Parts: sequence; structure tokens; C-alpha cells
Amino acid sequence: MKTPEFNVNAAAAELEGRHPSEILRLALGQFKRVAISFSGAEDVVLVDMAVKIDPRVQVFSLDTGRLHPETYRFLEHVREHYGVQLEALAPESAALEKLVREKGLYSFYRDGHRECCGIRKVMPLRRKLATLDAWITGQRRDQSPGTRAAVPLVEADSAFSTPEHPLVKFNPLSRWSSAQVWDYIRENNVPFNELHNRGFISIGCEPCTRPVLPNQHEREGRWWWEEETIKECGLHANNAAKIGGR
Amino acid sequence: MRTPREQRGENRGALIAVRITMVKKIKADGSPCRKCADVEERLKSSGLWNGIDEVVVADEREPDSEGMRLARQYGVDAAPFFIVEDGPGQVRIYTVFMRLLREVLDKPVSESDEAAEILDRHPGLDLL
Repeated sequence: MKTPEFNVNAAAAELEGRHPSEILRLALGQFKRVAISFSGAEDVVLVDMAVKIDPRVQVFSLDTGRLHPETYRFLEHVREHYGVQLEALAPESAALEKLVREKGLYSFYRDGHRECCGIRKVMPLRRKLATLDAWITGQRRDQSPGTRAAVPLVEADSAFSTPEHPLVKFNPLSRWSSAQVWDYIRENNVPFNELHNRGFISIGCEPCTRPVLPNQHEREGRWWWEEETIKECGLHANNAAKIGGR
Repeated sequence: MRTPREQRGENRGALIAVRITMVKKIKADGSPCRKCADVEERLKSSGLWNGIDEVVVADEREPDSEGMRLARQYGVDAAPFFIVEDGPGQVRIYTVFMRLLREVLDKPVSESDEAAEILDRHPGLDLL
């Protein structure tokens, strides 16, 4: 049950400048139907912080079926280390079988990754979020300047909310840099995915993830074959001023 | 801009007992939004264009254009989007075209198509 009258704008103002663990405390305290989305990478810090607040915190991961063996081992290690019930969300079999039957196992190299990610990630995620009133992600502003540059600490989820089922999304690590995350991991002896030792920064599905070189942005380790295009759906009145010089 | 229905001089059909406004975008450089054009073409090719009552332009060069005003009013930050009026004061906003197809225009849509469009609108989700 969601706490009545949760005001996202007021919460956003209140949480500005707060430590991620304080944001987690508020999220876990305000909502009963709340869970952490854990990718199997450095967002493990959220799990570490959350179990110190509520050892029974709900954690789920999107098991796309294409993760690295190292990531599966890490998910299991996290489950045992923290004693959490880590829920692995699998893709809907009919949709996945249809994709593979019609386009093969590597269609993303040819057609782009959206269709595959839609089936392996978005559909299971939507199914899970329909059972929650709030969710918590490890999204950070510095992960992808193009798509995550404006990740707020808390927001009304615009992707999965419906008029009948409003959903709140917390991003406690939004303001943290990769360096801050790794400082926390070292200082608190937090377990981490062994792929990080081999140059992987951003970790996703095995066919779509590669290690990056020093000074390469972590986003360059994901879907590197796709041309980076400007997201053009956004409505940006400010663009006019920039182009028109007004 | 005259609506497709107005251009035909038709009354509202019985099948779609709502008023649907499509808001499409003109980019800051004056060119049309590709996604908006794709959606418009899909509506036309599937015979659904006649179900759209009004088309409004959100011109990024004109912050006070009708479409930009509507985007601000309804808190929408991407185009195209659809305003569905079921009756006086009863407004639903659809930012996912596939959902409009399924819920308003009564057309079958695969969940995978809808998921791909959600990802298209929210590309940061692919990093989860």
C-alpha cells in the first residue's frame, strides 16, 4: 500500500544533497510495495545500503538469459552474502521465441538493440512494476550523458505509471560519480562483479557489453556498433534559443 | 489546422466516441520530427488517420505554439503525444503510441512492440 499523499516534488526538494542511504531510508519507509532493481554491477552499493536499513528489502534483477556467467555468479553471491531474496525476472517465453524464430539470436547487431531489450528487459520489468508502488534504481547522471544527464533523485515514473497506477521511482545514486560509488565499495568491503577487474565498467548482456579503454566513457562499452543518434523526440523549447541565438 | 474529420465534414463516428488530438513536433531547425512522421504514416497506412480529430504542432522555435503549450500543460516532454478527451474534463494523455492503438483505437498491438516503444521513449532503461 502506498503512503497517501506522497508528494514527489516536495520529496525531490527535501532529498537534494542527501546521502543515498538517506534517500533509501525514505523510500523504504514511505512505501511497503517497493523494490530495488539490481543490474549485477556496481549498483550493488544500493543493496548494501538497503539491507542495513531493512534486511527484508525486495531486490529484483532482469535475467535476460544473455548475461555473463560472471554476472550470474555475482547475483548468487549477493543473494548469499546479504541474505536477500533476489528475484530474477525472466522474459516472457512466447515473445522471446517469436523474436528468435523470426530474427535469430543476434538480431540486435543488425536491427539495433531496442527490440531485444524490449522483450528481455522492458516487458518483465513492466510486469514486476505493476505489483509495486515505487522502485529504486542505480541510475546515475554520469552513466550516459545523452540519456541519463537529468536523472532526478526521485520522480513520478513517466515510463510505467498509468492514471490507475501511479509509480514513484527513486534514483539514490543519481548525483554520485563512478568514483564515489567505487570509494563506497572499497571502504565498505562490498562484493563486486569480477568483470570489473577486466575492464568492464557498464555491465549488461554478454553480446552487448565489452570492456573499455582508459578514458573511454562507460557507455562506449555498450551497443558500440550502433551509431549514436540524437534523441529527437524530446520537446525542448531551449533548443530554439540556442539555434536562433535568441 | 483543420482536422481530418472536419475536412471530411463528418460527425464523430460511433466507434470512437472520444476526441483525439495528436501533438506533433517541428524541431528547432525547422525540420519535422522523424518519429512524429513515422507515427502519422502508420496511422494513415492503417486507415486510422480519420480517427484523429485534430493535429496540433509543437514548434520548438515557438515556445508559445499551441503544441508546446499543451506539452507544458500536461507535463509531457516528448513528441508525438495524444490527448484523448472522453468527455468534459475527462482527459487522458498517451505518450506511447502503441498504447493509444490498443486502448483507444481498439487495434491489436503486441506487447513487444509496446515495450520497444517505451524503450525508444526512455532509452536509459536499456542500462538496467
